[in-house]
Amino acid sequence: MAEVPLVVVAGFPLALDRRYQAETHMWVLETGPGRVRIGMDALGIETSGTLAQLSFSPTGTELSAGRPFGELEAAKFVGPLISPVSGTVANVNEEVARDPGLAARDPYGAGWLIEASVSEIGDKGSGLLAEPAEITAWFAARVTHYRRSGLIAQ
Amino acid sequence: MVEPLRIVDFGRSSPLRSQTLWHAIAYGVSTSERATLSFTRPAAPYVCLGYHRGVEEVDRDYCLENGLPLLRRMVGGGPVYLDSDQLFFQICLPVRVVPAARCQAMRLLLEPAVTAFRAVGVSAVLDDDLEICAGDRKICGHGAARIEDAVVVCGNLIERFDHERAARVLALADPCQRDQTLTLMRRFVAPTPLDPAAFQAALIAAYATALGLGPELGGLTGAERAALASLDERFASDAWLAGPVRQARARACGPSARQVKVRSGVWTLGASYDGARVAASVVRGMIELVRLHDRGLNGSKDRAERALTGIPLQSAASVLAGFGDPGRRLAVAFATADPARL
Repeated sequence: MAEVPLVVVAGFPLALDRRYQAETHMWVLETGPGRVRIGMDALGIETSGTLAQLSFSPTGTELSAGRPFGELEAAKFVGPLISPVSGTVANVNEEVARDPGLAARDPYGAGWLIEASVSEIGDKGSGLLAEPAEITAWFAARVTHYRRSGLIAQ
Repeated sequence: MVEPLRIVDFGRSSPLRSQTLWHAIAYGVSTSERATLSFTRPAAPYVCLGYHRGVEEVDRDYCLENGLPLLRRMVGGGPVYLDSDQLFFQICLPVRVVPAARCQAMRLLLEPAVTAFRAVGVSAVLDDDLEICAGDRKICGHGAARIEDAVVVCGNLIERFDHERAARVLALADPCQRDQTLTLMRRFVAPTPLDPAAFQAALIAAYATALGLGPELGGLTGAERAALASLDERFASDAWLAGPVRQARARACGPSARQVKVRSGVWTLGASYDGARVAASVVRGMIELVRLHDRGLNGSKDRAERALTGIPLQSAASVLAGFGDPGRRLAVAFATADPARL
């Protein structure tokens, strides 16, 4: 896969070639007709703590937007990975399941989590941020918020 | 009017119920949004696996021979030995009142436990790794999870701790690693032989104060009883015990490794590659003790062990580079160490 073009916003890398679910910090990248790749952005990973384990629903599992597609464990805390889209799990990244640190090292590239077959990603009303300007503004505001609340270093 | 903190004391329960009861409460809190602090004590010993951990980490033959059931919980962490000398507590809150960032949530929900320990005379602190310690020693195990729309953090009062059994239930191929694990457990995991009733009262007061809630005795709701029946079945099933889908971590013919975390920053490594074997104790990033085995080391075994002792773990490969082919094999075994996966 080609190298991901990144910008740096408030000290964190951000890819502007995809959509984002603001609450969960999940990104969605269209990789072909009806096919998307899903991962977590650098800020979501940073605020999760050191990733110890990742597990995913198996291929073929139905996905619902807002419902879990797997689990993440960091600092002995197990929590759901929330799907930003509805569809079906088409592939899981076994490399990142073996080595969860990959998600932190390359969150927008090799650290993707799953691929899904979808009928539509949705634009307005889907809750996904799509425009580079709104993604950048949202991301910068989240970094500021997390810094103010002491979740990430100043 | 002060909102209630439901207090549920299950008393002694079977190993299975000592897990399923509080999971049922989590499902209940997810819909009822009633903050709940619950207690139970297992009536018999057992071994419990963290949500993502593999059954192969436990010596199942030993457990079978000694009548120790093996269960899987929904919170994180490694395999642990549990018995009736441990009082479990669980604080469960609706997700909307818990900070979204897990480190912040853990701190918020573990600090009242520290307050309770201090109230009964233990100089406990919550360290930077979110472990409850007295001095250098961990005194409370914990784990956490979001279960549907509830967040639960579990902990325990360890009145007495059977270090030997806690080390023995682990599947460890290398006896050196088992010995090292036991030594570190004795040094870094300590019981706090308190009056459990006093601790329980202190815990209730601390959580009620921290959360601004009023303690109120309660029991399971009808929905929670229904959830309990379903959880009893699920937790006793082979499918649940097998765990979530896990991908093979080791490549075929690659090095094999086993890491055992004793407390944060303190762990043992047992690793092998192409006939070379390493058993090492790592304390805060430094190799404190190491035992090496390789067919080619001959007379240089002691020298290699001395060279590795007291150095940072990440320097092991460069030190071993001076020991020829055996050093290269041992370095591959050492390279399997991954503190992030502990």
